[in-house]
Amino acid sequence: MSTSPASPSDAHPTGMVASVTEDVVSTVQAVRVIAKRHTHKSTSWWIGRVALYALLVVASVAMLIPFFWMVISSFKRDNEVFSVPVRWLPLTWHPENYIRIFSNSMAGGYSMTNWLKNTLILAVVVTFLQVLTGSFAAYGFARVKFPGRNALFLGYVATIAVPWQAYMIPQFILLTKVGLSNTLWAIILLQAFGAFGVFLMKQFYETIPEELSESARIDGLSEYGIYWRIMLPLSVPAIASLSLLTFVNTWNDFLGPLLYLRDRNLFTIQLGLNTFAGDPQTASQDALIMTGAVISVLPIAIIFMLGQRYFVEGIATSGMKG
Amino acid sequence: MSTTVQPAPTRTIAKRKSALRRRNTLMGWTFILPNFVGFALLTLIPIAALIFISFTKWGALGDPVFVGLKNYRTMFTQGTYWTALWNTVYYTIIHMPLTLVISLALALLLNQKMRGVAFFRTAAFFPYITSIVAIAVVWNLLFSPEYGPIDQMLSWLGVSAENLPRWTTGASPITGAMPAVIIVATWREMGYYMLLFLAGLQTIPPELYEAARMDGANSWQRFWNVTWPGLRPTTFFVTVMLTIGSFKVFDLILVMTEGGPGQATLVLSQLIYRTAIGTSGAGGDFGFSSAVAVSLFLICLTITIIQFLVNRRAEK
Amino acid sequence: MKAGKSLAILTMAGALALGMAGCGTSSGDPTGAGSTAETTAAETTAAPTPVTLTMAGWSLDTTPEFKLLADGFHAANPQYTIDIKEYDPSKYGELMLADLSAGAAPDLVPIKEAKVIYQWSSALKDVSDVAAGLPKDVAGVDAYTVDGKVYASPYRMDSWILFYNTDLFAKAGIPVPDGKWTWEQYAATAKELTTKLAAEKSPDDQAIKGTYEHSWQSTLQGFANAQAGDIFSGDYSYMKPYYERVLDLQKAGAQETLATITTNKLTYQASFGKQHAAMMLMGSWYLATLTAQQASGDADTFAWGVAPAPQVDASTTSNPVTFGGPTGMAINSKISADKLEAAKAFLAYIASADAGKALAGIGNVPSSADPSVITTLFAQKGMPTDDLSKFALSTHIVKPENPVGENIAALQTILGEAHTAIMTEATALDAALADAGARAHSEGGVS
Repeated sequence: MSTSPASPSDAHPTGMVASVTEDVVSTVQAVRVIAKRHTHKSTSWWIGRVALYALLVVASVAMLIPFFWMVISSFKRDNEVFSVPVRWLPLTWHPENYIRIFSNSMAGGYSMTNWLKNTLILAVVVTFLQVLTGSFAAYGFARVKFPGRNALFLGYVATIAVPWQAYMIPQFILLTKVGLSNTLWAIILLQAFGAFGVFLMKQFYETIPEELSESARIDGLSEYGIYWRIMLPLSVPAIASLSLLTFVNTWNDFLGPLLYLRDRNLFTIQLGLNTFAGDPQTASQDALIMTGAVISVLPIAIIFMLGQRYFVEGIATSGMKG
Repeated sequence: MSTTVQPAPTRTIAKRKSALRRRNTLMGWTFILPNFVGFALLTLIPIAALIFISFTKWGALGDPVFVGLKNYRTMFTQGTYWTALWNTVYYTIIHMPLTLVISLALALLLNQKMRGVAFFRTAAFFPYITSIVAIAVVWNLLFSPEYGPIDQMLSWLGVSAENLPRWTTGASPITGAMPAVIIVATWREMGYYMLLFLAGLQTIPPELYEAARMDGANSWQRFWNVTWPGLRPTTFFVTVMLTIGSFKVFDLILVMTEGGPGQATLVLSQLIYRTAIGTSGAGGDFGFSSAVAVSLFLICLTITIIQFLVNRRAEK
Repeated sequence: MKAGKSLAILTMAGALALGMAGCGTSSGDPTGAGSTAETTAAETTAAPTPVTLTMAGWSLDTTPEFKLLADGFHAANPQYTIDIKEYDPSKYGELMLADLSAGAAPDLVPIKEAKVIYQWSSALKDVSDVAAGLPKDVAGVDAYTVDGKVYASPYRMDSWILFYNTDLFAKAGIPVPDGKWTWEQYAATAKELTTKLAAEKSPDDQAIKGTYEHSWQSTLQGFANAQAGDIFSGDYSYMKPYYERVLDLQKAGAQETLATITTNKLTYQASFGKQHAAMMLMGSWYLATLTAQQASGDADTFAWGVAPAPQVDASTTSNPVTFGGPTGMAINSKISADKLEAAKAFLAYIASADAGKALAGIGNVPSSADPSVITTLFAQKGMPTDDLSKFALSTHIVKPENPVGENIAALQTILGEAHTAIMTEATALDAALADAGARAHSEGGVS
């Protein structure tokens, strides 16, 4: 990797992508061709494969090191989490942190299962609304021509540029005035109607040939019918990535629930687990924070693992044949 | 769309056109409305309020006092604003293309049919879901001048001790905290954008590759003539989102450097946050903060418009 | 453009109108309704009117002070009850600002850091009458006074002191602080400790340094502001000797560098509690944390004591100058009229000697300077028992960490940036202080 990122515009990065992609594309094509011909695999193919796997394993380790640190830290004492130099293994193992966090969260009749339930409800509802309204609106922007469309779309996208921190107080006042603060509705509303989904879906609709909708129109399908019968089924990978990202973002959102939720029974998993972190000024329970972080990451890792299988070649284009 | 291209529009055509236009407008809005209502209530109104606040003096408590352009005048004459703006632009210029290229390469690599691809894709996405504190600690270890492998490698490569970068503690834009932050941000976000590219890659019909191969195109030509144009809508989306995301960079910098040392990594979002909420809820100046937010909004709007125009030209 | 602007004004006006309409009614809806119902029932029997107040708090599991004060108040005044609403400890100020702004804050608002008082005062009740009735020895009222009016009642008063590890001093063969230290003696001892303890390791196998100063700007600037200069002056050359000393300690390896502390997210609790440093300058709130962590095993078991903060010269050692700040309680200005009396009674209670003794019983340093309070505090299990430790907490002049002023937050930001720039040696000392002074004039409202 380039260690001098000061000169971004020179030929270096493009050169890099060129060689990488060439390798990759050639590997991809090689695999495909060979698989199709059912010929036996050559030695160079095996060398390539081994090198590829070696590279991927090394890269994966690089990706996962902070997660390992997080897992190991969750078995430490609070005062041992941060040290100089970083100590990898705990002096003494404290698996009871996992019991501690459960029993802490049970104190006063509150329960982690409740928080998991809240988080799951939020993530599912927000994802559903985001995908539904986003893909619906995107069709309007991608396929229906009307005056002011582009300006409106630009406005949508540009608002993404305003940091939430800048308008969170006006928004909070607004939602409090209508009585929605300290309810899960606030978080749903906050997350569900972003411009992100609209933009993402619009871009994917544009890859679907116009002729498809045209012939459907001739067959007497309404615009809604085209959206439902043609566009949606053809944009499965886009829906999958939008769903995954929305789900993950809602699951991991901390500031939104922090600002809006006061009642412990309404807490999300991120907020709930952080409640036991203690006051950082006096006694921060760092090992418990890491325990909580591990617990909250695992479900989304599993969901990602399951969701990524929608990125398979042909899933989008299969409907276009014939 | 304009009627002037028509050689001699008759009345009926014009009428039919305007009827079609009305019908389309109605149709378009029915699609957009469900999302737009939520968007308008939750985002547009608060942002409109934000623009209003930028012309006032307001500390979140009590009534805003109208001060005209005072906040904007202060902003333009203040060194801190320009420092934060420059840092943000610098961050974006390097982080954006770097992440774009790496996440695209990653997506191409992990778009193959191979054993364990689910695991590798998940691993690539892990930095995005790992606790940001864990990320900061481990990367700071890697950057550490005493124990870090990065500096060790650099010294093996012949970089002398005094020339070693002062990752995370130096103010230099080339060998200081800013590049360190950019590296970590790129590492953290590449899985996120990889996912979008992966989705985009599925929309390219395999028949196109087949046809290109028949024509005797080599892998580079196939990438350039099939993959790249096929990915254009995705690349455009990622470019716009990455640019805006870079301009808004916030939490990673907060955890890694808190904008320091001095103002070496102070960015606009942080300036917006700290002048609004202040530290621990003290010293809030929402008027000034909103003015900075409006300036960030206008900058991003301009860049987005340019990107849209460039994209439209490329479409033709 | 014009329409957009009028829309903005419209929505803002709408929100504000809603905000004003909500003034009288929206605060503490359920409890408010409950208490009025109870009021009518109680009036007929002529018993004292029961009132339920809502109060904010944080980390209720590890911060028992809120429940303690609420229970103590209820015991003394059975007609008053306090419900505690829990807030996140690390973002308390931000969340309370949002709640105050939206009219959703509870009746009683704790003031965690005194610096918010200037800004928050517009949403708080003037409680000058409560303050006037407090015992004369209650410390910290000044920190809550804005333009002659008092907006909160202090119940804790933390000041900065020097913690030292008696065992490590003994190992190094160096006498423990005698309470007469100047900064020169402090720095010299830190270096000497480092040298003499070079062969030793902490139980978790780390090198031992002479002293530890946390990354906060107040660990250095708080002392400089209290002992040597005025933060509102815009001339920060008075901080120079303080920085020269600390930079020297960093270079000598007698204290962890700021770069190491921030990049490794080191905590001061571990640094002193796990014996990585023989001394530490810290606020007195750490007394309770340290005893608790020694009891739980999160901190090692070792003998320790506290001494007054080092002074500029010997002239102030009999009544040492340090800095600190109160923790207090304020009243939401949107409180309903029938609850105000109860709320004011609570504010008077928390600063009393009774409440002080109760707070001392959980290891907190109360605002009340009643002699019995110090006795109770040092009677706690795990606390040092020597006279110097008691002296350090009972005899001193405590200057505010953040003097009240409109621009204090801006000045703290400017000086905070100067702090990291100097301590990481990203900028030369003189240049950084001069730059901070210039910015204090251009951005910090110093004229």
